[in-house]
Amino acid sequence: MMTGWWLRRKRNRIKEAEAGRLDCAGIMERLYEYIDEELDDPRLVSAIRDHLEKCKVCFPQYEFEKAFLRFLAQRGANGAPPRLRRRIFQRLLEEESQS
Amino acid sequence: MAQKKAAHSEGFEREALVHLDTLYNVALRLTGNAADAEDLVQETVLKAYRAWDMYERGTNCRAWLVTILRNTFINQFRKQSKKPASVQFDSVEDVSIFESVQDRDPAGSFFRHIVDEEVTRAIQELPEDFRVAVVLSDVEGLSYGEIAEILGVPVGTVKSRLFRGRRRLQRRLYEYALEMGYIG
Repeated sequence: MMTGWWLRRKRNRIKEAEAGRLDCAGIMERLYEYIDEELDDPRLVSAIRDHLEKCKVCFPQYEFEKAFLRFLAQRGANGAPPRLRRRIFQRLLEEESQS
Repeated sequence: MAQKKAAHSEGFEREALVHLDTLYNVALRLTGNAADAEDLVQETVLKAYRAWDMYERGTNCRAWLVTILRNTFINQFRKQSKKPASVQFDSVEDVSIFESVQDRDPAGSFFRHIVDEEVTRAIQELPEDFRVAVVLSDVEGLSYGEIAEILGVPVGTVKSRLFRGRRRLQRRLYEYALEMGYIG
């Protein structure tokens, strides 16, 4: 019992230490995964969030990367043209009547 | 029989055809022109329609369709000579352009001045592997896991392609903005 508790505490401390050791370079390495919400470890997520809140070097870059990704999401899309929709519906009707 | 057929196409319309915009956008980025993109989407939709009984209901329909689209592109649309070469690491990916703009335009407002045509051109100039990852993630909003499944590569590869593709794209747009005088 004691051993299990002790081991758990030790493991947690190691994880915390890892998270605490994240320097600016470490943050930059994980920045996209953080923005994309692709990090599984909630400790790592909160460690990065804490760092970004405090760090005058990383925070502006974080904001810049977010602006860039917002820009891509807004400006990179091309909807299917109406004539393509019509063409496809027509083709599917033909397909249906043949089968 | 007729009832079954009606249910078949109704289900297809409801679940698959809602992804037409995604299919067209990805097709356009793969082929580079509207005429081929339209042919590719039509071919993809027909294949999907014929294989609709094989689609496992409740799984990721969009990823299933994009996978068909990509395979159709590779098998029917891509000329042999145009097979993407493996991309070497480029030193432009090492440095973020943020370092160059942080004093003049840290919020990246220059992006807003870039015309649509130039955005399209910059995306098109990315190597195909990077281009597909960037479009699926950043324009279509698919997760790393979904993209990995579609491309048949590990999630780590998706991360690296995204990182490198985004960096290259930023650099390309930054250089354009400099040329146009959007950055002081």
